[in-house]
Amino acid sequence: MVEMSKEKIGRIIARQGIIIAFAMFIIGFTLANGKFLSIENVLSVMRSSAILGVMALGVTFVVVSGNLDLSVGSMMSFSTIVVLDLHDKVGPALAIPLMFAMTIALGALIGLLVGYLKLNSLIVTLGMLSAIHGLTLTYSGGKNMDIADKEGTWFNIFGQGTAMGIPVPIVIFLLVATFLGLLLAKTPFGRKVYAVGGNGTAATFSGIPRARNVFYCYVISAACVAIAGLIQASRSMGSQNTVGQGLELEVLAAVILGGASLLGGSGTIFKTLIGVLILGFIQNGLLLVGLQFYVQFVVTWVIIIFAVWLDIAAKRGKFWSTIA
Amino acid sequence: MKYRIKAALACTVAVFGTAAAAETMTVGITQNNVGVDSYQTTYEQAFIAAAEANSDVEVVVLDAGGDVARQIAQMEDLIQQEVDAIIIWPTNGEAVIPAVRKAFQASIPVVVTNSNIAQAGFEFVSSFSGPDNITQGSRSAEIMCERFTALGTQNEARVVQISGQPGYTTAIERAKGFEDRLPEVCPNVTLVETQPGDWNREKSQQVMEAFLVKYDDIDGVYAGDDNMGVGALNAANAAGRTDGITFVGATNFAVGYEAMARGEYWGSIYQSPVDDAEAALKTAMDLLAGEELPFLNYFDTPKITQDNMGNYTKPVF
Repeated sequence: MVEMSKEKIGRIIARQGIIIAFAMFIIGFTLANGKFLSIENVLSVMRSSAILGVMALGVTFVVVSGNLDLSVGSMMSFSTIVVLDLHDKVGPALAIPLMFAMTIALGALIGLLVGYLKLNSLIVTLGMLSAIHGLTLTYSGGKNMDIADKEGTWFNIFGQGTAMGIPVPIVIFLLVATFLGLLLAKTPFGRKVYAVGGNGTAATFSGIPRARNVFYCYVISAACVAIAGLIQASRSMGSQNTVGQGLELEVLAAVILGGASLLGGSGTIFKTLIGVLILGFIQNGLLLVGLQFYVQFVVTWVIIIFAVWLDIAAKRGKFWSTIA
Repeated sequence: MKYRIKAALACTVAVFGTAAAAETMTVGITQNNVGVDSYQTTYEQAFIAAAEANSDVEVVVLDAGGDVARQIAQMEDLIQQEVDAIIIWPTNGEAVIPAVRKAFQASIPVVVTNSNIAQAGFEFVSSFSGPDNITQGSRSAEIMCERFTALGTQNEARVVQISGQPGYTTAIERAKGFEDRLPEVCPNVTLVETQPGDWNREKSQQVMEAFLVKYDDIDGVYAGDDNMGVGALNAANAAGRTDGITFVGATNFAVGYEAMARGEYWGSIYQSPVDDAEAALKTAMDLLAGEELPFLNYFDTPKITQDNMGNYTKPVF
């Protein structure tokens, strides 16, 4: 009986290695600076993580389906710039759906190329990274975009508003996470995504078309990017063209940190959420500790490697192994 | 954009220069990355406008798109075309040195504009034209100190700094100017912490949020440019702590100017891309006219605060 429950605990730990790592960071940073766990700070970290987080939720679908998406950073710049520009031209009520349509169209294009034409997703989205950057610059003429009348608009609620004391970006992030979490874990479509990512050919022969499901994944990813762009635009009410530059790697890091396999077929929305929070809290924690920033780059890397190692070690039940 | 394509076409067929009249000079420019931000976009437009206004000069306007290899190729093209002078806005202070040396060996004077190349290349450069970022940093320190003195907090004020991208010359020089000057003018003001905002408004906002959690008492924020300064201001606004904080930036942006007009942002450094572009062309023309120029030609970047902002027009970027 005792043995049984010990095994059970072992299995639970094995599945939650990343959460244990997360808890360890939280304790460590709290000891270093008492303000780390203050409600004010936790809310501020979650609010700034929301933008990266929403994007990571979408990319989780793409990664689980066995593909990559490196275009999300420049796509986020695109949607931010577009919605800011349209805000002053056609008003927020029209600007938001227009921006969503344009961003999702870009995602659909990638989905077509990767899904139906079966092109390598790394090549397609790496190319799209610069193509969309160029598109954004062409659209804006290189100028920073700013909303002219920052007071006379309700557009700021998505980034700056609060709902019952909780910043709206966090509410959006959690709502999207709940929705996508259920979609991936509890619906036939979600199971198809796992099947396609696990073995695309086998899935197709079993009546689960790889192409169509991959296409949907990129559309979901683009929709998430549009939401992130909306939060970003509303948070700062103005933006430079490079606002999302480099985010694609942070997003991917969060997804992988959450335990999704780059080879596809595994990963969950909940663990991506943890991955996002780990990245957000590391950044904030290092700032609060007041480490010199040259050191921060190195420490961030060390912490991520440590987290991944803890996760793997928990899964295989020992800290060191010569076989995979 | 259209002009650039025309210029690029013209340069491939080498129409300019040789065919031009005896007194007309041909100046080629290879820029860093037009279109990536409003400053560089405005710079290019102002450069072309200045060249059109001057009948003594023909210009070949090129842009490297942030790519070092392309910039080196463009330098070689300009040398091949035997332009009279080359202006370069370096994509990278180190990597362009061999190309600059080539021009030097071909006896074509090179003017470096906006941000200088590395010291190892100075012997091949005729002149540098651009802003003096160290002076900008010290002027920001003076603006901040003058404001503290006016508020009577010069003996206790605590300041945080949000610097530009680590490793960038402009970021390093502005930070150095500020850090050296502040203790000279306001010896009792403490600079409590410096963190980079990477020239990015969102990043700067996150850094400021952490500062606000960490420090209960912040009297001043110095940001390496107004874009980051406005990010910090947004964070303070969201936390309801804008009152009592003096925000000072550099490179006055339109958003910074507007925040100054609203009374939330105290001051900045007025750096006009139009002055920058005109100074570069003038430096090249003066060199060709045989004038003796100092190696470093700085154009003036004055202080702008809520008190004197009426004397300056709102920046276009």
